[in-house]
Amino acid sequence: MSDKDFEKVDITIRSNTKDIFAFTKLVPNRIKRIKKASNESITDDPINDLAKKLHPKLQYLQIDQIIEETKSTRTYRLVPDAKRGTEQLAYFRAGQYLSLKVEINEEWITRPYSISSSPRESLEGYYEITIKKEEDEGFLTPFIWKSWKVGTKIISSGPEGFLYYEPLRDKKQILGLAGGSGITPFRSLAKSIAAGDIDAKLTLLYGCSDEDDIIFYEELKALEKAHPEKLKVVIVLSCEEITLKGCEAGFITKELIEKYADVANNSVFICGPQIMYDFIKKQLKRFNLPPKQIRREAFGEIKNISEFSGFPNDAVDKTFTIKAHIGGMVKEIPAKSTQSVLVALERARLAPPSKCRSGECGFCRTLLIDGNVYVSPISDWRREADKKFNYIHACSSYPITDLELIIPRTI
Amino acid sequence: MEKQILEEQKIDNQYDVVVIGAGNGGLTAAAKLAKEGAKVLLLEQHNLPGGFATSFVRGRFEFEASLHELADYGPKSDKGGIRKLFEDQFHLDAEFIRIPEAYKLILTDPKYKMNITLPFGLEKYIDAIEKEVPGSRESITKFFELAKEIRAAFRYIASTHGKPDQGVLMKEYTNFLKTAAYSAKEVEDALGIPEDARKILNAYWCYLGLPMSRINFTLFASMVLVYITKGAYIPRYRSHGYTAAFDTKIREYGGDIFYNTKTEKILVKNRQVVGIETSKGDKITTSHIICNASPTLAYNQLIFPKSEVPEFAYKEVNARIQGLTGFCVFLGLDATVEELGLREYSYFIMDDMDTEAVYESWKKLEAPRGQATVVINNAIPDCSPPGTTMMYITTLFHPDAWKEVKPQDYVEVKNKIAEKLIDHFEEATGAPVKDHIEEIEIATPETYARYTGTYKGIIYGYEPESWDSLVPRLMSMGKDQYIIGLRFAGGFGRRAHGYSSSMSDGYTVALLTLQDIKKEVNQIYE
Ligand SMILES: Cc1cc2nc3c(=O)[nH]c(=O)nc-3n(C[C@H](O)[C@H](O)[C@H](O)COP(=O)(O)OP(=O)(O)OC[C@H]3O[C@@H](n4cnc5c(N)ncnc54)[C@H](O)[C@@H]3O)c2cc1C
Ligand code: FES
Repeated sequence: MSDKDFEKVDITIRSNTKDIFAFTKLVPNRIKRIKKASNESITDDPINDLAKKLHPKLQYLQIDQIIEETKSTRTYRLVPDAKRGTEQLAYFRAGQYLSLKVEINEEWITRPYSISSSPRESLEGYYEITIKKEEDEGFLTPFIWKSWKVGTKIISSGPEGFLYYEPLRDKKQILGLAGGSGITPFRSLAKSIAAGDIDAKLTLLYGCSDEDDIIFYEELKALEKAHPEKLKVVIVLSCEEITLKGCEAGFITKELIEKYADVANNSVFICGPQIMYDFIKKQLKRFNLPPKQIRREAFGEIKNISEFSGFPNDAVDKTFTIKAHIGGMVKEIPAKSTQSVLVALERARLAPPSKCRSGECGFCRTLLIDGNVYVSPISDWRREADKKFNYIHACSSYPITDLELIIPRTI
Repeated sequence: MEKQILEEQKIDNQYDVVVIGAGNGGLTAAAKLAKEGAKVLLLEQHNLPGGFATSFVRGRFEFEASLHELADYGPKSDKGGIRKLFEDQFHLDAEFIRIPEAYKLILTDPKYKMNITLPFGLEKYIDAIEKEVPGSRESITKFFELAKEIRAAFRYIASTHGKPDQGVLMKEYTNFLKTAAYSAKEVEDALGIPEDARKILNAYWCYLGLPMSRINFTLFASMVLVYITKGAYIPRYRSHGYTAAFDTKIREYGGDIFYNTKTEKILVKNRQVVGIETSKGDKITTSHIICNASPTLAYNQLIFPKSEVPEFAYKEVNARIQGLTGFCVFLGLDATVEELGLREYSYFIMDDMDTEAVYESWKKLEAPRGQATVVINNAIPDCSPPGTTMMYITTLFHPDAWKEVKPQDYVEVKNKIAEKLIDHFEEATGAPVKDHIEEIEIATPETYARYTGTYKGIIYGYEPESWDSLVPRLMSMGKDQYIIGLRFAGGFGRRAHGYSSSMSDGYTVALLTLQDIKKEVNQIYE
């Protein structure tokens, strides 16, 4: 293309000479302005300061109190550990979780726990998380039961997750459907509504398998009693024998939901184990709610991945080798097909980054250079281009051949 | 101990060039360097490439984080600089889609009411303005002829590495010289463009983010010309679609990329770069750094020891005017564009076109008086699931407007502003947005700071007033390197902010760095 693709027009701003002169003065004037400026270094940045307060990379905490909630549930009250650099807890939105970073047998792992206390209480200096010891015991939970004492030091992420009330999106009436330890975010929400910090109403259907498994029973009932216009709490017990008054028997069915809520005018929030979600999804189907009215918490890693359709039969029970590049290190590690790539990396003591362990947050994003994984179809929240360029979320991917990966180092 | 794990994973190595930051400028620079065989290390503190040029997933939607429209891409038959870079230079595996029309401008103040859709293509564009404002054709045509001359002059200056022959400039590019020191307003006054026509012509001003009385004319005119003549494009899979392609390409060329790795120190000895140190304890030897982070950050926080920062560098940073930060409401709606009655991709909505007044409104935490909104489905119908629409409303803020916000008030503050922006959009277009919000995310200056670490959450580079616009910046080339081996690329670079400018800048800076390396090699063999 010719450079002369323009027609000369006649233009004068001040006068011919003044205009040309102004041009010749551009560089000298710039230098003059710079010379005149202050030589002070800039040290303040209130916006980054606010960002760090809201979203600290890590928070250093300490156990201040342990409360036995039920025979299998404990609440841990966590306070900031100023000595290690956390002066103030990050404020959060009721319903968010913390990703705890724990060292166990020299392995660094993470686990997400919803904050069960209210945001207002974080201003008073504490968070609470409430942990249920499941029958299958798990990996971290027994360790917690055994070794967490008052004074134990804890590392956590900032507040994460999206199961919160959003006034620009949600109905003012919330229908909370909780199962087991899934009650935790709703305690935070109920407290915030009671305190007037959130302007919404909550009807909570809380499914439990046994009377002595109900977490926060007294507390939730007291909140309901104090704020009957804003809070309604219904315990739904699936056990045979029920002695508690005012409970419902069975499961959270369509009929039960209808009995307590005008569903069309509710935003439904669900938190509980995967099986409960599958059950509730079926019940809710009959109401024909638009997706925007149903919000659910992530349910963590998939435990029964080999039962998913599409999981290759011949990979079940196999152990593969992962060649992992992490920083300047290369290491070959074993990986079971039925455990996530993330777990394999953790077990090999590589301290990979992660937060939600449900495929949602993307913090475990990893480059697959070679080999194949099975991605949990219900936990695939990857960006389109990541799928195209072979990025995987380690927490929702399962090895079905030997793999070669590039993993980012810990957060 | 985690320390021990990090120790084992440390990178200690020597690189020809270390690129700090994988934003538009850093990615382009790293790709060019790696392609030319330099040993390159690209470090990014976040776990994704792109900086602002990225995407995020919420529910059923993958949102674009920042791009409204990519300039200088152009159709296959008339490739712009960026398309040449992507297709011919890097063979990047990324698809771009052309935006159907230039923009819809809606002024809502009853005194100025205006609602007009502008097409791409110079003739059609000028026709549309003439139709709305009879008698404006001549002056608008002159505006574009000047703009063409200015772009030709830029090409010429760039080809001389900032040392143009004054004689050539005087002879060939007289009008460029005569307008280079003036604001867009001053030149538009001189051209006699009617007031109403200016309202239409100036709509793109918010992409540069300073009022018409302060924005340098050459930069403004050149931007408008490129949009109108080459059209505008967006990536098929949001910005992450092409920044992830860059990542793949850089590795293919042999470059190394490390995420979650923040550069903490740029090590300098006797005014010469000698290496860097990272948040993960890496110590890397290099004598060339391309810094995609701003000079503000580099000089005030990264250079080590501090005594190596020349006084003039502090002064330069302090003399320049920090640009604006952003505010964005991302909306996933459960209705189609037809149901919403939204036909256009790009909406500029303002009370009126008093750019000074709109700019002033950004200094306070109140309802912003202007917004730029895009409805992606009107360019890429299947960018979100059937039955849905994905759009985002963007406005700007002076960062200091946000400095007193307390964490516990943060959500309420941002929601209030978001609601006002949505109301303004509904009022201007009649689309019932609020009834259909399935996903909403609100990004504030704090969000930009959180994800990129940019000073005060600023999303635009230094304000290109005439004294510090492209022309004096380009002509200072060579005299603006205060630490040998340290160059800057990106939105805070010479070409000012914007996606295409940042990428062009990254490319140029890579070429300059390659020259430096070549010179050193020659010296060794001499
Ligand atoms: C958003 C969110 C919020 C949550 N909130 C709560 C809450 O408020 N309260 C609550 O009680 N729970 C909550 N959970 C569940 C909680 O995060 C844990 O999953 C639960 O406590 C069980 O942890 P665990 O390690 O004991 O068991 P599991 O996670 O079931 O432990 C078994 C896992 O450990 C792996 N593993 C086994 N051996 C090793 C090894 N040597 N090294 C590394 N990995 C190994 C296994 O592969 C398996 O994946 C929440 C989950 C999510 C996703
Ligand atoms: S840890 Fe959140 S996506 Fe894997």
